[in-house]
Amino acid sequence: MYSILFKSFIRSKIAIISIVLLMGVGLISILLGKQFIQKQEKAISEAELFQKESIKRNVMYHNDDIGLLLYYLRFSLIKEPNNLTGLSIGQRDVNPSIQTVTIRGLEGQKYDTDFENPSLLLSGNLDLGFVIIYLFPLVLIALTFNLFSEEKERKTWRLIASQTASTVNFLYKKLTIRVLFLYMILIVLFLLAISILQIPINEALLAFISISVFYLAFWTSLCFLVVSFQKNSSFNALALLSVWITLTILFPAIVNNYVMNTYPVPEALRTMIEQRDGYHEKWDEAKEVTMDNFFAHYPQYKKYPVPKDKFSWLWYYGMQQMGDDESRESSKEMKEKILLRESISQTIATIIPTMHTQLMFNQITQTDLNNHMQFLDHLDKFHEELRLYFYPKIFENYLVKNEDWSKFKPKIALIQNHINWGKSIYSLLFITLLISFLTFLNLRKI
Amino acid sequence: MRKSVIIIIAKQLWKNAFRSKVLHVTLTLAIILITFAAYSGWKNYKDQNRIRNFYQEEARHSWESNPDKHPHRMAHYGSFAFRLKHKLSLFDFGMENYIGNAVFLEAHKQNTINFSEASLSTGLLRFGEINLAMLLKVIFPLLIFYLGFGVIANERENSTLKIMITQGASWNEILFGKSLGLIVLSMLFFIPVMVLTLLFISTTENYTITFAEMLRFFILIITYLLFYGILSIITILVSATSTTAKNSLIKLLGIWLIFIIILPKTLQALGYYLYPTPSKIEFESIVENDLIKEGDSHNPDDAHYKTIRDSVLLANNVTSVDQLPFNYGGFIMNESEKISSAIYNKHQKDLFNIYKNQNTIERFSALINPYTAIKHISMAFSGTDFASYIDFQHQAERYRYQLAQKMNTLQMEFIPNKRTDKPNRIDKSHWKAFPDFKYDFLSIGSILKNEFLSIFSLILWSILSIIIMIRLSKKAKAI
Repeated sequence: MYSILFKSFIRSKIAIISIVLLMGVGLISILLGKQFIQKQEKAISEAELFQKESIKRNVMYHNDDIGLLLYYLRFSLIKEPNNLTGLSIGQRDVNPSIQTVTIRGLEGQKYDTDFENPSLLLSGNLDLGFVIIYLFPLVLIALTFNLFSEEKERKTWRLIASQTASTVNFLYKKLTIRVLFLYMILIVLFLLAISILQIPINEALLAFISISVFYLAFWTSLCFLVVSFQKNSSFNALALLSVWITLTILFPAIVNNYVMNTYPVPEALRTMIEQRDGYHEKWDEAKEVTMDNFFAHYPQYKKYPVPKDKFSWLWYYGMQQMGDDESRESSKEMKEKILLRESISQTIATIIPTMHTQLMFNQITQTDLNNHMQFLDHLDKFHEELRLYFYPKIFENYLVKNEDWSKFKPKIALIQNHINWGKSIYSLLFITLLISFLTFLNLRKI
Repeated sequence: MRKSVIIIIAKQLWKNAFRSKVLHVTLTLAIILITFAAYSGWKNYKDQNRIRNFYQEEARHSWESNPDKHPHRMAHYGSFAFRLKHKLSLFDFGMENYIGNAVFLEAHKQNTINFSEASLSTGLLRFGEINLAMLLKVIFPLLIFYLGFGVIANERENSTLKIMITQGASWNEILFGKSLGLIVLSMLFFIPVMVLTLLFISTTENYTITFAEMLRFFILIITYLLFYGILSIITILVSATSTTAKNSLIKLLGIWLIFIIILPKTLQALGYYLYPTPSKIEFESIVENDLIKEGDSHNPDDAHYKTIRDSVLLANNVTSVDQLPFNYGGFIMNESEKISSAIYNKHQKDLFNIYKNQNTIERFSALINPYTAIKHISMAFSGTDFASYIDFQHQAERYRYQLAQKMNTLQMEFIPNKRTDKPNRIDKSHWKAFPDFKYDFLSIGSILKNEFLSIFSLILWSILSIIIMIRLSKKAKAI
């Protein structure tokens, strides 16, 4: 029975179109992922070279003044792509993975973006995540919308009803063949991705695959639910496509508008201005204003004297520090606002499988907003360590030639990633079971 | 062709549509979506512009309240450019949320435009946003397909088509009548959108609306009307050439998916694959290397700047910089700003050309895809397209350059070459005298020039669809 059903399916035009579409776009998406990773790796090696050369050059020019030298020196913090990133690029195209900073005020450098073509950002990445979230359900709909109705419309249903023990079983078999066919394509795509992107077999990969499997199961249950109402083909096609649009376009877009409008982030602009004013206004004020605050922040430097009537690096870096200190509150509020946006989006996404799957993909591949915020935290720490290392040397006017400059290589930020299996899968599983139960009730009536 | 018959057929389509439940459902849904989209577009426009205006003024206020000081301190103090939204961005968000909103403008350094909405958002933004233009471009075409797929195919299936033809209606009249009927039906979705847009753009800024804004709005109406005409005719053509309504529906859904969802994205991705963007660090190293070649103004022994100094001394007939009639430091910074920004601009132009190359394939696909044509026209006239983004960058950079050079000129004029005991300061009235950054939107002429291809292909499609309809009417069969 299965072999006949399979033969009749695989010979159909729609099966061929499905393979061509999914494999074609799937392969393109994997290659684009590969290109993205290569670009990031290239940027990292360039950053290493750039830092080495620019330190060398600046040390040569400014070898008599460490304070001036550190005005120019730039140090990179790098977030390495893991190979999974190629599967779901997420926010990594918008948010930079390399941050290069001087020890001057951090707030003025922290939010610098990468260069990217906005047309590309608007159209979004064509990664494997997109193929799974958008295209697989579409093909599934195309394969199953007339599961029952085509038999009825071709007038073969009565024949089947008279020749099979259970008509429901017959439908299950037809469905099973189509769904297994899609899962086969999915597996082939994952095998291709693993070999092309050289993804190690680890927990993250398993989680990514599991979510994909459950996500498709959700759509399968949904398609079968619509079929179980036994309407005609046109109705099913309309209904399923409408559901698809609602889940992949309308709901997420409505949530976006809601989050954007309810939680605007004016703190971002305020931080910029406070940073500038906090630093620059100090030039026109008495040195004590800066130094009192600076020594309150770093009591360990109180021992260094501040020349009254001339410029000193201690005063200069103190003023730079004030830019950061005076915008700290706004910067903190901005961060909280962004994290609030993230947590609200996640909460809403729990009940909308498409959104949930996207966010989970990004989390697993470490391309989500949270990951970027953690990177910024690492940047804070990195910058502070640089300051604490160089401040005393500057204040003591340490000799440039006594420092081993070759040890300042770009640092890799190690961001921990925990995979929350329960959170990843429960909601998909629950929604799938719920729909399957409704279908079961529906099918009892046949 | 008889006009009366066409009108009867159109009216009949209209009546049939109102009898079916599909229209009631889609119309209700459409009205909910339109209301939501209009409100959130307006709110976003209003809130964001209020925030940006507020901080622009705030920043200006700090600028003006600076005391007397050395002009070069002010060049470093710098200024900000906050990108204001065009009023019509409430109609079409376009790239709005993917481009930065704020940039710090200071001497010697071109900063990135930061804080795009996308950089503050989760990955969900990639699903897209709801706005009025998105409904018109993406969602409502599907509703037109829903309403029109069976218009002729159904009549064929239940044999009423035969009856119409035996009663004397010609294919020409049937196709034109049905198309007209569907176009009029689509106005049920189109008119509320445009009315709400007009309402919001005319009331939002104290009831003022400029001529340019009206003209943009008017062009949007015309081009969208063409788009809906093309859509309706395609629907009727597919319906007329399909044996059953089901086939017609499947074909139309396929067209929608390929032309609106899959093709534009794939072509954009292809463009990116063919013309990869250099990384920021690569860009910065290239700029820096070029700068080093031009000489280093910080290095006292630099050959380039030594030559400049010697020629300046010679031209002014003096032997040392102290004797020059202007401040030499200001002069050198003026020179180096000129050189460094020319180098930066040259490389930035190269970068923008890469972007343009990346966009080319997708843009040219407007010739085969009317959706792409209307997408670009709509964004362009709403001030949310690629060209507007580039234009903002240019204006911000021009302002930055003027600011730095103005401060350098002040230094040349008012700061003495010889160090004195008194600190070198100039009067604070100079700060107020330098105007604030003001962003001007692109002129309609330049938008028309940018969008020539899109407009051309939209007109081409309008003509083509009518020609195909006339052709079809000669060989169409009723069975």
